[in-house]
Amino acid sequence: MDMAQPELPGFLETLRLALRLEPSIYYLLQHHRLGLAYAALIVLLAGVSESLGQSVVLFLNRVRPRRFVLALSITTVSHIVGYFLWTLTIWLVGSWLTQQAQPWHAVAVVVGLAYAPQIFAFFELTPYLGNLIWGVLSLWSMIAIVVALHFGLGMATWQALLVSSLGWIVMQALRRTVGRPILHLRAALQRRAAGVPLTVKKQDVAALRRHPVRDWYKQLEARRRSVRLSPVRKPPPSHNEQSHVHRVE
Amino acid sequence: MFTAWNDLLLLPLAAIIIFLFWAALTPFETLGWWAGWFGDSIYHDATSTEGSIPLHPPTHAAPARAYVLFLSGIGRVSGQTLSYREQGFLDRLRQRLPGAVVIDNIFPYSVNNLALTGQPIFARLWQWALQRKLEGPALAGYLINTRNMLQVAIAADKRYGPIYNQAMAEVMLDTIMRYDFDPERPVPIFLIGYSGAGQIAIGAVTYLREWTNSPIYVISLGGIFSSDPGLLAADHVYHLWGTKDKAQIWRLLMPGRWSWLATSEWNRALRQGRATIIRMEGMGHTGRGGYLGRHPAPDGGPSHIERTVETIAAIIEQATTPNATPPT
Repeated sequence: MDMAQPELPGFLETLRLALRLEPSIYYLLQHHRLGLAYAALIVLLAGVSESLGQSVVLFLNRVRPRRFVLALSITTVSHIVGYFLWTLTIWLVGSWLTQQAQPWHAVAVVVGLAYAPQIFAFFELTPYLGNLIWGVLSLWSMIAIVVALHFGLGMATWQALLVSSLGWIVMQALRRTVGRPILHLRAALQRRAAGVPLTVKKQDVAALRRHPVRDWYKQLEARRRSVRLSPVRKPPPSHNEQSHVHRVE
Repeated sequence: MFTAWNDLLLLPLAAIIIFLFWAALTPFETLGWWAGWFGDSIYHDATSTEGSIPLHPPTHAAPARAYVLFLSGIGRVSGQTLSYREQGFLDRLRQRLPGAVVIDNIFPYSVNNLALTGQPIFARLWQWALQRKLEGPALAGYLINTRNMLQVAIAADKRYGPIYNQAMAEVMLDTIMRYDFDPERPVPIFLIGYSGAGQIAIGAVTYLREWTNSPIYVISLGGIFSSDPGLLAADHVYHLWGTKDKAQIWRLLMPGRWSWLATSEWNRALRQGRATIIRMEGMGHTGRGGYLGRHPAPDGGPSHIERTVETIAAIIEQATTPNATPPT
């Protein structure tokens, strides 16, 4: 592979091309010794971003600030483990379906590149638009893996589609069967890292109550704090109707 | 040519990305509050004098017949009003409803009522934005509106709303209790939500309901709100809708407000007669032709602000008077 090293663009440029699903980037990275490192960096960044995007549940369980960082890193590691398993699945399914052993290194690179859209997973936190952004990113990622398999591993489009959907089904099956101990281990690690029992799930938020007793309001007086602010504006000299102050409602 | 176009596109793209970053970071304020990272204090502005109304009504006065809590639109930075129109509206409402306690010194876009200009790190930024807003250029002032709009989006978000709305309900309860409200007595509460605060008012009802014995009414003054469970928790929701209020177009962003989604809270509330839309003829969202516009009508009729005050006062009067018929 060291002969005739193709010119490799910088990391940001690689990322940009991967986001645009540029066919050449899959080929280029496979044939460069830094290719896997770039792909791994994309997976890592995507993992951090996804962990942040999913961090709401940590807050719901009232995790402390230091523990928050620890729990985030556990989630990031679990995303990276997920990448290895996904690569393995694609490699197995791809090799079986195309009846030829796919090069492991090439599969790892193109699958890693297909993680690029998830770098924006952090934006799923955006209030009100989170679901929409999640949907767009999911669709983008789905297209990305198909394009990656098609251009990166030379599969026909139908093969790429079939491999990615079969791979997804296999992953789901694994999660529910032999993967369960791994998921349990992950949950245990997350609990240890968070330092609080992670009992509240995302879907429980509407039932959450900060005050279980009805007459909690008796504590309110003790919680009041006074702050001195300078007045927002001087008293009006005259009622000047043209002032732009009127547009501020 | 092509690259030139690309370069031109870069600017709005950068603006969108910066905005998205800001937006995605916003929920951490609410989430951190829930997790207890910022303590559980509720702040209030010691300098705010509430106009000429004493903080506590004189003891010899009759107990309040109603508590009216006015939640301002997204232009505010603190519990103090910036707008002469809002001030005029509140003064008229107080005159019109002498038996009611009308309160507005609340900042409905902060989980603990802490004014933007009193925040630990960014106070200077908001002070600067406020000066720009008051003295111009107004564009920088829109930082404030954007920030508060994001809080409205949080209140409408299914993931953060239940948390933010609990925080706001706490602040509201604390505010009215500073005016001698007793949660054990069934004195009615009226939440007036202007513009984006419509969402804030509706969101908080679910929780206020659980903590008090009072009937709770929401009066949305050109409110922008999603289909929130609070719509069904309120005793009644009155939505004042100006026929020239272009800001109402925002409702189309809220799927639960679409008429064909029959099971949404909003459509159920309308069907069950728990929500009423009141048409405000010829009124826009804000400014001169808005709900609080002070210019008399061309035909010599009452000004917008007079009609708005009258409509709201009629709602409050009929709700606090037994056996009265609701206004239509």
